[in-house]
Amino acid sequence: MADESVGGNNRTTAFVISARKRTLQKAAKTVGEGLLLGIASFVAIVVLFIFYFVARDAVPFFQLRGFSEFFTGTNWYPADHPGGFGALAIIYGSLMVTLGSALIAVPMGVAAAICLSDILPFSIRQYAKPVIEMLAAIPSVAFGFFALVILAPLLQNNGGPMLMWAWWILVTPFIVLAVLVAADLLTNSIKDPKRRQQGYVMLLTVFGLISVFLLYKVGTLLYAIQILTGTNALNVSIILSFMALPTIVSVSEDALQAVGRDIREGSYALGATRAETIIKTILPAASSGILAAVILGIMRALGETMVVWMASGNSSHIPEPWFNYLEAIRTLTATIAGDMGEADQVTGSARYHVLFAMGLLLLVISFISNLVSERIVVRQRKILSGQ
Amino acid sequence: MNIGTRKILDRSFTALGIGSIVVMAIALLIVLVPIVSNGFGAICFTGTVEHRKMLLHEFRRGGSESLTSDIATSDRYRSKVYGMLTQFEAELDRMEPEKKREYKEKYTQVRTALQALLGPMPGDPEPMLTRFKYGQTRWEKAEEKAHDLLYESKWDNSNPNVMAKEYFVSRAIGFQGTSLAQLFPYVRENLENMLIPKFTVYWGFITDSSVDSHFFGGIWPEIQGTFFLAVGAMLFAFPLGVIAAVYFTEYAKPGFFNSMLRSANSTLAGVPSIVFGMFGLAFFINTLKVSESKSVLAGALTLAIMILPTIIRAAEEAILAVPKTYREASLSLGSTKWNTIATVILPAALPGILTGGVISLGRAAGETAPIIFTAAVSVGSAIGLADVFSSPTPALSWNIYNLASEHEAASQIRHVQYGMVLSLVTIVLLLNLSAIVLRARISKKLKG
Repeated sequence: MADESVGGNNRTTAFVISARKRTLQKAAKTVGEGLLLGIASFVAIVVLFIFYFVARDAVPFFQLRGFSEFFTGTNWYPADHPGGFGALAIIYGSLMVTLGSALIAVPMGVAAAICLSDILPFSIRQYAKPVIEMLAAIPSVAFGFFALVILAPLLQNNGGPMLMWAWWILVTPFIVLAVLVAADLLTNSIKDPKRRQQGYVMLLTVFGLISVFLLYKVGTLLYAIQILTGTNALNVSIILSFMALPTIVSVSEDALQAVGRDIREGSYALGATRAETIIKTILPAASSGILAAVILGIMRALGETMVVWMASGNSSHIPEPWFNYLEAIRTLTATIAGDMGEADQVTGSARYHVLFAMGLLLLVISFISNLVSERIVVRQRKILSGQ
Repeated sequence: MNIGTRKILDRSFTALGIGSIVVMAIALLIVLVPIVSNGFGAICFTGTVEHRKMLLHEFRRGGSESLTSDIATSDRYRSKVYGMLTQFEAELDRMEPEKKREYKEKYTQVRTALQALLGPMPGDPEPMLTRFKYGQTRWEKAEEKAHDLLYESKWDNSNPNVMAKEYFVSRAIGFQGTSLAQLFPYVRENLENMLIPKFTVYWGFITDSSVDSHFFGGIWPEIQGTFFLAVGAMLFAFPLGVIAAVYFTEYAKPGFFNSMLRSANSTLAGVPSIVFGMFGLAFFINTLKVSESKSVLAGALTLAIMILPTIIRAAEEAILAVPKTYREASLSLGSTKWNTIATVILPAALPGILTGGVISLGRAAGETAPIIFTAAVSVGSAIGLADVFSSPTPALSWNIYNLASEHEAASQIRHVQYGMVLSLVTIVLLLNLSAIVLRARISKKLKG
């Protein structure tokens, strides 16, 4: 570009370029850029190919067996003749561990992201970031090995006491806070300071006793639980949540940092504490970005294979009752991984194609959620830059 | 709310955030510490004379005078045990039929336990499987087996409300009054003399191939397979990714087509890894037929597609981080756009691009799901470089799964599994660590 403009009108010195050379150069430029474009669109071609080839092998299944059995049946006997291809229990298992891991990872991840972007000084943040990166880098099969060989026996042998301690350690701080806030709010309307103080102390005692009783009662209930198998939905949910955390933390940290300084300072100027500033102004402003982070994190958990294959127990039934996380389950990814080896021998059978139907289901879900989260991020960027 | 409560809430909010970061760090430690500590046990452990015998016979290594004398010593102590067995067998023959049957069963158990501890006995036929040719090679396993020999395990089912409890009964009591009773105190006292434990550093765990599906030997075929797969994937993905990033940052004009390409990129990044595996099977193997069945090539191509979006993103960021002044200076000196990219921008962005590449390399090395159907086999020897186009390979990630979940004696070779996990985690974390260091250097350099 540069030498073209120089050589254009000024035909005097070494900058002169003959017409032939110029056309050659132009041709080279077009070809080169075309090549670049071709390579760049390679990604798009790959995505199309993935959809095409997974769908191509998935469609025969629906032609053979229709939709209703796959999505509503719970009979999963693909190797029998005639086989049962009800994948409802498997889809449910996938949803269950995804939800379970989201319940752990989302609050933790968002809290950690807030901490990283707004609370910690830079010097500490430097050390926290590599921790999260290392958590993201550990291969899934190593997590699966940990879940199978270390966590599962622990849960099986000491499940009850572990659940009790987890309940006490996790819930006690929140109950203490809730008691403090509730006592404060309820006595707010009393005008006389002395009587308000008395009421406050009284309420604190009453609520305190109730919550101690509650903590103790639930604790003993949990203590009595016998976990029959350590390879269950709870185990997998815990491990998956740690795999989803890095994604949630880094994406929501980006969203929080995109919220400008002016908004924060405005809130501080009005006398809000840091927690109030974050909860009432920054989080709402960053909410769509955090939603995108949550979607991406959930997708990581839904698409994970090795951990669930190794540590979920691989039993395709809907737990009894439906929210029982202490039972073995089976997920879509684990089914694909586990059955493909045998199904591949009988290419063309419903048994082979049903796995591609599951793959297509995963692919469509991940495609949609990716589009949604991308739109959300773009919109947030537009709104924030518009202000 | 009064100001005190607000302050408490503020503090506890801070505590919540810090707490969750601390929980993450603790989780990382809880996962890594047992893997590291048990993983080192695959290399550094207390090995018995059986381990040294195994090395000599299977790998032709370590034959020396001290080994010969060790074997002689252990044989001397063992011969007494075998003598006691022959003595008892003779006694058994003289017993009344009913008593004989009772003792015969117990005696078979003792004999099996002894075989597991010390290896085949003199006069036994040569075992078919290598795992039965040697006694316990690791001292802690030997102690376990010695316990199995000395005590019989029984289950207490007396209380139907709780799970059955295991308890142990000394086998010596069962043989009271026979000649075999003296065997148990003898084994207890002379276990060390029979096995001669010594602290061993077995580097061969990394460089040897496995013997009898990982009962003995090392994990070199897996390490090599992982290397081939990861490097192969990089060979395809890295050039493509960098060129695509150059297009996106330098040439692409905003518009529908460009935003579609970007969507495709993030879609590809979000595809579950197992779906890549299915695609690799359906496309590279069943349609393109790059190889007869599973092969390193098919696996590397599948992994390449998987890491492509990561490389593109990292390269884009690195290119965008190059200061504008570099570009302007180059253009003002009269160089063309392409010249500027090749000689100014790419060299300046190279460390950043490499960082992304190194992280992707680690990801390719650690992934399992894409190679299950395309490249991985559970047992196999190390393959040559010429075989990558046609033959499958064992790989660390796949074999960790396979040994832990599908191996017929998974609980007996835990140390091998831990060793493999440690090797894989070390490779991946070292790659990531170097990326972190590289990035810290770049940010310092850009700051000036």
